[in-house]
Order: sequence, then C-alpha cells, then structure tokens
Amino acid sequence: MSQIFPKWANRVPKRLTIGSIVLLNAIIFGVWYFFSPRYLDVGYQPIQPIPYSHAIHAGKLGIDCRYCHTSVEKSPHANIPPTQTCMNCHSQINSKKPKQIAKIRDHWKSGEPIKWIRVNKLPEYVNFNHSAHINAGVGCVTCHGRIDKMQVVHQVEPLNMAWCINCHKNPAPHLRPVSQVTNMNWKAPNGNPEAYGKKIMAARNIHAPTYCDGCHY
Amino acid sequence: MSKTNENPTYWKSLNQLANNEEYKKFLEREFPENASELKDGMSRKNFLRIMGASIALAGFAACRRPVEKILPYKTRPEEVVPGNPLYYATAMPYRGSLTGLVVETHEGRPTKIEGNTEHPASMGNTNTQMQGAILGLYDPDRAHGITSDGQKKSWDDFLSFAKQNFTSDKKVAFLCEANSSLTLNRLKKDALKKFKNAEWVTYEPFGEQNALEGNNQAFGKKLRTYNHFDKAKVIVSLDADFLQQGSENVTNIGNYTRGRALESTKDSMNRLYAVESNYSLTGSNADHRLRIKNSEVELFTYALAASLADKIGGLEAFKGYNNHFSNHSWVSVLTEDLLNNKGESIVAAGNDQNPAVHAAVAAINMALENKDKTVSYYDVPTFETGNDTQRFYELTRDLKAGKYDALVMIGTNPVFTAPSDLDFSSALKATKTTVLLSQYHDETARQTQWHVNRAHFLEQWGDGTSYTGVKSVIQPMIQPLYGGKSEIEYLYAIINGTSGDGHKLVRETWKSYLSSTNFENQWEKILHDGILPNTEFDTPRVSLSSSFATYMNQAFAQAKKPGDNEIELVIKPDNKIIDGRYGNIGWLQELPDPVTKITWDNVALMSLKTAATFGVKNEDVVSITSGGKTVKLAAWVLPGHADNSITIWAGYGRKGIGRIADDDFGIYVDNKYKTLPFEVHKFESKNVFPFVTTDNPLYHTSVTVKKTGEYYSIASTQDHSSMEGRPLARQGTLDTYREDPHFAPEMEEVAGIEKKSYRKFPDALYTPQEGYDYLPQWGMSIDLNSCIGCGTCTIACQAENNIPVVGKEQVKRGREMHWVRTDRYFIGNDAGDPEIIHQPVPCMQCELAPCEEVCPVAATTHSRTGLNQMTYNRCIGTRYCANNCPYKVRRFNFFNFSKEFLSSGDDPEVIQMAMNPDVTVRFRGVMEKCTYCVQRLNRAQIDRQLETKNQSFKPVDGSVQTACQQACPANAINFGDISDPNSKVVKVKHNERNYIMLDVLNTRPRTSYLAKIRNPNPKMS
Repeated sequence: MSQIFPKWANRVPKRLTIGSIVLLNAIIFGVWYFFSPRYLDVGYQPIQPIPYSHAIHAGKLGIDCRYCHTSVEKSPHANIPPTQTCMNCHSQINSKKPKQIAKIRDHWKSGEPIKWIRVNKLPEYVNFNHSAHINAGVGCVTCHGRIDKMQVVHQVEPLNMAWCINCHKNPAPHLRPVSQVTNMNWKAPNGNPEAYGKKIMAARNIHAPTYCDGCHY
Repeated sequence: MSKTNENPTYWKSLNQLANNEEYKKFLEREFPENASELKDGMSRKNFLRIMGASIALAGFAACRRPVEKILPYKTRPEEVVPGNPLYYATAMPYRGSLTGLVVETHEGRPTKIEGNTEHPASMGNTNTQMQGAILGLYDPDRAHGITSDGQKKSWDDFLSFAKQNFTSDKKVAFLCEANSSLTLNRLKKDALKKFKNAEWVTYEPFGEQNALEGNNQAFGKKLRTYNHFDKAKVIVSLDADFLQQGSENVTNIGNYTRGRALESTKDSMNRLYAVESNYSLTGSNADHRLRIKNSEVELFTYALAASLADKIGGLEAFKGYNNHFSNHSWVSVLTEDLLNNKGESIVAAGNDQNPAVHAAVAAINMALENKDKTVSYYDVPTFETGNDTQRFYELTRDLKAGKYDALVMIGTNPVFTAPSDLDFSSALKATKTTVLLSQYHDETARQTQWHVNRAHFLEQWGDGTSYTGVKSVIQPMIQPLYGGKSEIEYLYAIINGTSGDGHKLVRETWKSYLSSTNFENQWEKILHDGILPNTEFDTPRVSLSSSFATYMNQAFAQAKKPGDNEIELVIKPDNKIIDGRYGNIGWLQELPDPVTKITWDNVALMSLKTAATFGVKNEDVVSITSGGKTVKLAAWVLPGHADNSITIWAGYGRKGIGRIADDDFGIYVDNKYKTLPFEVHKFESKNVFPFVTTDNPLYHTSVTVKKTGEYYSIASTQDHSSMEGRPLARQGTLDTYREDPHFAPEMEEVAGIEKKSYRKFPDALYTPQEGYDYLPQWGMSIDLNSCIGCGTCTIACQAENNIPVVGKEQVKRGREMHWVRTDRYFIGNDAGDPEIIHQPVPCMQCELAPCEEVCPVAATTHSRTGLNQMTYNRCIGTRYCANNCPYKVRRFNFFNFSKEFLSSGDDPEVIQMAMNPDVTVRFRGVMEKCTYCVQRLNRAQIDRQLETKNQSFKPVDGSVQTACQQACPANAINFGDISDPNSKVVKVKHNERNYIMLDVLNTRPRTSYLAKIRNPNPKMS
C-alpha cells in the first residue's frame, strides 16, 4: 500500500512549529516596535506655512527661546509668538528669502493669524505644565531636542507615558540650574549629570509626582 | 426633638417609608431597572449610530496623525498669557436687580462664573441661575438675528424702520421687564420727553409689585422691603420663600445662615417659623412649619396682627379683628416669641401674596420696632409711581382699544405669562407697530412685527443697582455671539433712529455719578472692583398712612375662609427656571428640585390626604379645570403639602423655544408602558399660565380635579442612591447640642472603638496609603447646619468639571451625572407633615477606599495628596467601583453623553466653548466622580511652587477653593489642607458636631459633616 503522505510531510509539523514561533515573535516585535510612538511619532516633521528656521534664529543668531515663547515660565503652555514678534525684526530686516518675509508682512497687514502646524502633542487627557518643568530646571533640549540645529522642527522624543514616567521616577540626570534651561549646549560639570542632578534636587526641593492625578484629570 | 425620640425615621420617599415592593425592587439593583440594558428601539438606533460613527472615525484616524493647527494672535493683548485664565468683574441682572460677579475667561472665552466678594448682593457667592448663565450664553438656540414678519433683517434695516416709525408725534407704549439699569432709566427719560403721550410700564409675572403696593398702602410710598436676616432672632415667613425666590436670595441665604452659625455650644441661633401651603425650600429649613392653604395665609397674618395689637401699639387697625386662626396655638406662640424679641425679629410675606398681606406685615414690623434694625425700607428712584399690576392691565386694555400707535417691549414675554383673560395677543394685533427685544424667538416674538435678538449680559455693556442700591457696571466678556443688541442700544435706536455704542452710553450715564476731574481713574477702579461703594438707596422716615385702617378694613371684608372641601390651585414660579426664562438651560432643567427632587417637569403637587381623595398616585395624570381652562398634569404626592391644595410650577410646557425648553415627552394611556418607551402620545401643554387671570392672579380658591386614567412618567431622583435609613444625615436640637455636644458622632456605634473616642479609627484591613509630608493633604467639611439644600453646588460643579446633561429619559433610568447630589430626607413618622433635612454628597475621598480595591485595571487609585483619583484613560468600564462604593457617588458614562451634548445643533462649536479647558471631556464607558476639583488644586500647587521657588508645595490656606465651596451661598463647605493644624478646615473639623458618614465601614473619608442643629420653641410641642 502506497503511503498517503509523501516523505517530506514528516518535516511539516516541525517546520510549522518553528515557523509559527518565528511568525508570532515577528508579529509581537512588529506591533511592539512599529506601533509604538517611538516609531510612529518620532520624526514627525510637517511642512509649516512659513519655512521658519530655528537653526538660523535660535542657532546662528542665538536668540533666546523665551524671546518668542514668552509664557513658558508662567503658564502651562509655551505660546507660539504673535505675528507682532516676527515684525519686531522683520519690519526692518528682509533676509535672503524676501518672498517668505512678504508672507509675514501680509499676515501682519491683514490680521489673519499664521496657521502653524503643531508638532509636539500630548493626548487631551494629559495635563502638561511647562512652567512647573522650567521652574524645576528641566532644559528645553531634554524634550524638544536640538531645536537650534533644526531647519524644520520635528519631534525628537516619543512623548509616551513610559518616557514621562522614566524621568519622573529618576529626574536627576535631566536637571540643570534654572538659569541654563534654554541653553542647548549645557553639559553637567564633571560629565556626571546624575550626581549633579541629585545635588540640584536636594538644594531646590524637587519632587516629581508619579501618582495619576499629577497629570491626568 | 427630645431625648426620647432621638432616632426618628429618615426617609426619602413614601415608597421607602412604606417599604413596599416597588421600593425594594428598586433597592436591590445597583442601577435602576433598564439602566444597563438597551430595550427600546429608539436608544438602540442611537447607540448604533454613535458606535458606527466612532468606529469609522477610529479607522481613519489611525492611518495618519490628525493635523492640528495653532493660531497665534496678530498682536497679543497685554494681559493675556495663553493657558492662564483671567478674571473680570461684572454683574448679572437677576429679576430686577444686579448681583456682582467675577467671570473666569480663557483667551477671551468666559467659562465660569463666581460671585464678587466685594459686592454686597453676592459676598462671593452665587445661586443656581447665576451658575447656569454660562450655558445660557453659549445656547445655540438663542435667536440668531433680527427678524421682521418672518424675514431676516439687518440692524441697519431696523434703524431705518425705527427712524420712520418712531417719530415724536407717535403715541408709544413701553413695556419693560423689571430692571435696575441706570442708563436705561436715563434713556427712558429721553424717550418720555420725545414721545409726549408715551406710557412706560414695568411688567414682571413674579415680581415684587405686590410687596411695593402693600408698602404703598401702609406708608403712602412705594418702598422696597429688605430684611436683614443675619440680625434677627425670630423670623416668621408667611409664604415667603426668601431662600429661593426674589432677586436678593443670594444675600438672604448668606445672612440667614450667618444668623444660625454655631462655632461652640455658647453661640445662639435664630429661629424660623414658616407658614405656607407648598413645601418650599424655606419651609424645609424652618424650625417650625405650619401647613395651611395659600388662601388662608392672609387670614393667618391678620389674626397674628390682631393678637399683637392687644399687646403693643401701632396695630390699632387690627384691634377687634378675629377669624378661625385667632385661637390657633401658633398665633399665641408667635405673638409671645415676637414680643420677646422686639427689634430683633422679622415678619416676611411672600411676593405672590396680595398687597394687603404686605401692608399688614409692614405694620407688624413697624409695631415691633424692627425698622432700621432688622427691616429696611428703600426708596428706589427708578420705580414708576402707581400700582404696576393695574397699570399693566390698563395698558393692555388701551392697546386693545387701539389707543397707541406703537408698542416697544424690552425683555418681557407677555403672550406667555400675562393673565389669560387680558388676551395680550389681541393687544399686539390691535397695535400698528410692535417691536420686541428678547433672547429667544419666543411666544411674544412670533406675534410681534419686529424681533431684535438680545445680547446676553456677558456680551454687553450695561449698569444697574443691587437690591439695596449699590451701583455696578456690567462689562462684556465676549463680543455678541449672534450679533445681539443690549436693551440700551435697542432703546437708543428707537429714540434716535441711529446706532448708539453701549460703552459710550454707559460712560455718559456714569459721568453724573463720578467726579469730572478724575473720571478715567474712577471708571477704571469701578470696572476692576465691580462696584461703586456706599451708594445704597435712601431709607426714608416712614409712618403708617392715615388711610391704612380703611384699607385694611376693605381687605378684612374680602378675606374669607375658604370652604373646607374646596380644592385650591396655587401657581408658583419654578425653583429653577422661574417663569420659563431660564427654560433652555439644560443644567437647570436637570437639577433636581430642592424639595421634590423632580427634574425636567412640573407636576401637580398635593398632600397625601388630597391624593387619596382623588385616588391618585405619583405619575397619574389629573386634569385640573378652573374658569373654563383645563390643564393635564402628572400628580405628585409631596409629604408636608397643605391638604386640599394643589401647587403647580409655572414656566413649563413651551413650544418652539429650543431643544431643552420644548416639551416633547410622552403620556401613556396604559400603565404597562409606565417605564419605557417614552413617546406614546404627545403630552398636551403643561403650561399653567392660562390659569392666571386678572381676578385670580396666582391662586384659584376652587378648582375641579379629575383623574384621567392616563400616566405620565416623571424623572425624580429622590430614591436614587439610597442608603437605607442609617444615620447619614444627623441633626439635633440646640438643647441636645448644649447638653451633649458630641451627640452627632455618637449616633452610630462603631465596632472596635469605645463610644467616647469618636476621633479614633479602628484597625484597618488594608494598609492605608500614606501621603507625602511635603504635599498638602486635602480635606473637606460640609456643615449641614448651614446647608439649605438649594443645589448651587451641583451646578457649579457641572460648570467647572464639564459634566454633561443626559436628558429626562436617562435621569429616569438613574444615569444622571451630577458629581455632587443633594439628598433630601423627610424626617418623622407622620407622612402628612414631616420635617426635611438636606445633605450634599460628593465623593468622600476615602483613605481606605472600597472602590480602589476592586478596580481590575487600577484606574482608580490613591494620590499622594490623599485624593481618590480617577484615571479616565485607564478605565474600561466594569463599574465594579460604583458597586463597591458605599456612598454611591460614582457616575458612569452609559453613552457618549458629552459628544451628544457637544456636537448637537447647527453650530456645535458654540456649545463647546462653554467647556473648561483644564478638565478632560469624558468618553463613553468611563467612570467619573468628584475630584475635589483637582485641576484647581494642581494649579494652586504649581503656582505656590513658582512663588516660593520650590520651597513649598502647599498652597496658603484659603488660596484654593473647590467649585462647590466657592459658589455655595450658605458658606456650608470648608476645604483645605488637613496637614496644616491652623487651616480653617481643621478648625471646623474639630467642632463637636463633626461626624463621618458611615464611619462604621472604616473607610476614613476626607470629607466629613457637621450635624444640623434645629432651634425649636419648647412651647410648640
């Protein structure tokens, strides 16, 4: 009597088992990595209506962050500057891209707000307060990256809860003197941010909340 | 209450008192029947529609991150810091006078109303209607523009119309709602100068005209009565619901509770006697309450006056008068108590009582030497001379006779509210030119030639005076959303035919009140403070007029004892929507009435005995006929209501106003449909204004009542969240308190602790989670002795925390979302005449919270500041926590209530503006509850950190208030850091009356109560 199954069929169960384990792992890894904010959100770089370059303004010209984002020290929001802030300089300065400057001047004349596209966004059920973080000595660069080197702003950190909590559980490596908050190049002395941060925490009485309604309400 | 009957029966409804099957069935379930099931077709359809949309959106949303735009200002206004709210002083015109407010605005968008602490009519507090005004502002159903005979018109069209038609040779009649505006009164003089034969009449359906006429008869001058309830030791209310009705109720509540505040056993408190037919909010707070027919209140007043006349001078007009109350025990007891407290007593009559009662009450207060001590009579310069009621009647008759060329109406709605035999509609038809300014396209607007949409008070410049005369300016918070016009801009246009700027008109008026040299500085200061201080009205010297005795003799002749078996009908302004003017504010409609706990409807309130004579139960429809008019309404048994009397609230049964005010609930012919579905037959109008006639303005002495055999479903929350008769709301008398100050915490025995050691806790099963020392530990205390049960806390909470309105059908199923409810318990074994106690119940913030133990996903946990926190984005909606909560304070989003609420109408973006940006809007399937306003606490904590450069995380005591605490007109709520031994809340919690609700469960709540103290007269029992 001939065999119903050919000989290679003997290898099928083994291969199926190994194959499904590999596939399952691939799916888990795939979801874990590709569905995470680290993959989906980091690098989000929308085209802005006016190609404002932080690299020129904050980097080359060295304008302090707070010249435009004035409310960052006293409000939950770091505001986007009004058109007037642009016009403080650009009523005089024309730059190498007169077409773009003309756009600003059009907005100034018409009173139409410039429709900037939001880059860094937290979900609506999270209440993030800029002033509390600035006051504690968390640098702009810690969450927003090297803005001074960006031609077009993009998201640098995943901004998910695990990322938040990591810092809230151990804030020391991310702390600096309040005077250095906007300094993009600041390095902890002796190359040991953890030890330096611990000193700051003790001196400045810093406690980061890790209970839910510190942020969720 | 003596020691012997220390534990009287506490009950919420007659079903509970009887402990019948219906009630037991209700109790057995955590949520009422059908609360968690979708049985009827309507809802299922809705549900699928919502779910379908959500899934579709979710599918697309996942593909690409939604692009969100940020629109900065062109030039940022100087004070605006995005993300930080700004607070401006303004004032709200409320039933004829102003109450000072402070409005919170977020980037130019008003979101929350608070009282102005500098303003004497507010003292930092508000009432339900003031809290609800925010929703009124963003109401998408307000009139969106000017219309004329159904055509849309522009403001310029109106101006040219006014120029042509309002020439100085025209005979013009002005009909205006009660108001105190100084600029309007300045323009009124201009109007009367220009239109030579003009008539200006003030009309208010539930105004103070009877009180003014009474004082006019007593003193020969139209004076406004103001009672200083804080200074009185004995208060007698003759159908005066001064805690709920009247434009000065916020002041009254504050003063009344100050007169009852007890810090220790040495303090004394006032005593309140209430004589009334309906069980009013004031009656529910009274130490003694006499239920008599409304038509007998007059007789009782005269009997009381006659009894006093025998002892003191000044009441000669009443000498020798007697009626069936003359030998009543109440009359002799009141006479004695009033005489013992001469100069420290108040006798107050209800606004709806006829003028003769007010005249008698004025004479009594004069005789008791209360004038200038506890009672003031103010001379209000803006009043017209004459009897407002009679002048309105005459005007309407003249209009019908065609004696006027034009009628200008400001803010009133006479087609809906005027006496039905006047037939105001035909007055409108008989007049050539009719114009109306009002917020909604209402009953009157539909019959007027021109309707101008009115600006909300938060959108306009204006001014006015408080009840006692203090001047304030109303400043706008936002540009008119629908291009509405204020009453001064409207009147200016009619007089001049040109457009006048409200800001300039108000400044023009104020030039006469401020010095010309320093005008700008003073003006800025008034805008900042909200008031011009020391501008109270004059209190002239008064004496009884010579014609008083004759006037009273006429009144005696008219006042007759009603027949014993006659059924009386009383029309009362609604506790929430007054005469219907606030009818389209969902927050107010859904607020349970303070006494009956009914939402969304009016009913025929009657006593147990009266209901038995008609053979009706709750929700049985009765038809009530009087004077050829019939109204069909659901009956409702209110324990404590006077026998043979029926009370109905006005303001309901409207059509075509808006989605909230319109009546479209169903009536059932068959009992088996009593629960669901709702729409079987459209209900005939529940409007009771047709009963109002010129002869019988607000009550009818003899009506016929018939049971129709139909049913109408009423959504009452009185049995919701019941706690089965344990000593939850505790009260004692002043004597028991003095004998045994710790009576309240000892009312319940707690296993594991000695009876006298009431501040210790027994051992806990769980390890309590400790708070951190550097953080504040929040705690609350609610003083039941101050709480009057008005429900302002509920609306303030709803406004602050973005709580949705769920609708009548959902309330019927027990799905109301209010984070703080006010429980009302009847006390006593006599179901005919019980006492009432009110108890607000928010989340208790237990330190050993039973809800936290059962959440499978750790969505409710404990914070380091001692809050029982609710993390919405973690919640999967098992509802285990609500099941395990002994206080029944958790609320579940059975549907996407917020989305329905926020995305309905033509322009949903308008209603979305009412939301507080600091609080998450909750989604379907999420549990929610009181958070102690954690958004305010966190902000205060961060502000304190910024202020002290991180040295302190604890806000200064008193610098942060919860929404309920800030709004409470009775100042019953204290809140603060209990880790600070000097904070006010700690001091209050050390009062002997402090007790914990259900302390037998050892949940260790952060919210505790102070027991209520009553001050009964020993001679009464």
